[in-house]
Amino acid sequence: MPASKYLTGCLIALLAFLASCQETVIQETVHDNVIYEVDTVSIYTSNVEKDKLKSSIQFISILYADLFKQAITSATLARLDELKLSIGDKGLANEMIITDFLQDAGVELPSDADMRNDIASFVNDTYIRFYARQPTEYEAYYMASMIEQDPGMTPALVYLSFMLSDEYLYY
Amino acid sequence: MNRRKFITNAGKAAASMVAAPYLLPSGRLFAASGSRVANHVIFVLFAGGIRNQESVKQQYLANQGLPTQGNVMPNMLAGAPPTQNLVYNPWNPVLSQPLSQQGTLFSELRYSQGPTGHYNGHTVAMTGNYTETGLNLNVNPEFPTLFEYYRKHSDPAKSALNAWWLSEGLGPYPSLNYSRHIEYGPQYGANYLRPATTFGNLGDNFLKEALNYQPDDVQRLHKLTHFLNSNFDRSGMDAGGVINNEEDRQRVKAFITGILNGTIPFEWPTPTGTQQGVSGDLLNIGAAWKVLEAFQPELMVINTFNLDICHSNFTGYIDFLHKADYGIGWLWNKIQGPEGAALGLKDDTILICMPEHGRNMQPNQLRDQNQLAAYDHTSDQNSREVFSLIVGPPGKVKQGQVVGNTSNPVGESIDIVPTIAHILGFKDDIPGGLLPGRALTEAFA
Repeated sequence: MPASKYLTGCLIALLAFLASCQETVIQETVHDNVIYEVDTVSIYTSNVEKDKLKSSIQFISILYADLFKQAITSATLARLDELKLSIGDKGLANEMIITDFLQDAGVELPSDADMRNDIASFVNDTYIRFYARQPTEYEAYYMASMIEQDPGMTPALVYLSFMLSDEYLYY
Repeated sequence: MNRRKFITNAGKAAASMVAAPYLLPSGRLFAASGSRVANHVIFVLFAGGIRNQESVKQQYLANQGLPTQGNVMPNMLAGAPPTQNLVYNPWNPVLSQPLSQQGTLFSELRYSQGPTGHYNGHTVAMTGNYTETGLNLNVNPEFPTLFEYYRKHSDPAKSALNAWWLSEGLGPYPSLNYSRHIEYGPQYGANYLRPATTFGNLGDNFLKEALNYQPDDVQRLHKLTHFLNSNFDRSGMDAGGVINNEEDRQRVKAFITGILNGTIPFEWPTPTGTQQGVSGDLLNIGAAWKVLEAFQPELMVINTFNLDICHSNFTGYIDFLHKADYGIGWLWNKIQGPEGAALGLKDDTILICMPEHGRNMQPNQLRDQNQLAAYDHTSDQNSREVFSLIVGPPGKVKQGQVVGNTSNPVGESIDIVPTIAHILGFKDDIPGGLLPGRALTEAFA
């Protein structure tokens, strides 16, 4: 058999083999098993984009997620919503719920030393965590100065001020 | 302009500056012109829907086919209690003299217009305007509430710490501390609490550990939030709710945490002083006393509501009526006792009680465990018949007087707001056209 005929025959045999044994790979994705993790990112380029008031439910859900880095259960959400209804001064109700939360060991709260070791990063992270945006240069400078110049300024107070601010009421 | 004209105009301008009234922070041109009858008013919306048959007419079970009559409200009304067929556990009166003898009883007041629903009844009583809104929506009322009239038209302007609204339940009631009226609103609203929630399990779970910051930290917090807010164009006031100033807010916060952690001892308005036999109404009344003790507000509205059980359980209705009566007596005893005297409340407080509406003449089909018929409230004439009791010290309120009767009813539900405005001296400062009712001046000495 000439070499060319031999090679042609081998090629045909190989193609026939590949065609007859083609493996079909099916990848199944079971969505219930997907684990979503909280990855804080900037959403807003400016606070001007925030023009909608959060509902009570939205406020509590976001607050809880921002503090505990996990979603609130529907039962806890309903209970906190009822609690907020029972107090006429909503700012006071928010303040009390937040300060109560801040006593919880489950809240991810940096230590005072961590904050002061790198104030610029702390300020940046705090803006992203609670406002979902970067601070402006002026905000970053002024906030850092307030922390730097006052040894009594704690991470908890800074967090609390963000959560009690007007901007935190909007999205 | 020539020199003569300039001097004349300048003179006129200077004269008008001296003569013209100053615009007060409250938005009024002039200070409150009316003198006060008293400096504190407590309005008890004796709610849940109470028939005159079981209250002022003291018919007890007479409408159930049983020949037993009697007074189940011995603290509020004069009259002998029932002696047989007792379906409730009688508590000895806390007052030596019933409130009807310490004030004026309008025995036949009318809820003249609109559906006799709970939200309507509360709204009418607290705004002085009838409403056709039949739904129990958690929406601020259309017309200003008495809190807003009080805060806007008092001089000097009153903080929210002077005006309180405490409700037994939630539902639509949290929205009654201010209206959506364009000239009034949350800046003139009252502090609101639902004590069963705030001081109950939810408060215990989620508020008890709330920190009461030291003044230095409050200052820091203020500085931070001020900076953050100055960089944002929108206002948190749009979020709704009454807004206390920072100092008052910290006082309310300390009050709530004080109750929750026991540093402010709660007192139960029951014969034993314990939780035994306590109802939601009594819890609300007990909390009202704590608010009075802490802040001595000039205007407080509270309600009772457990009596609404009458839709299905007449026995429970009688029991709750008896207990609510005890609670009102207990509260008055506190106000007029040594504790009230120390707080400046004694002899300077006027108590007004009125059901938000009555109940039907005819029962529904339901029977309770004692086979007693239940009553709804569907706007029949009987459900429009209520009473009002105005109680105060001699010299301020006429004692032992009864005004009106079945054939000659006197007063309407919409009259309570002008009456309170009269007592606190700002009635004449309320703009015309807002309040169709009148002050029940027959009650005052």
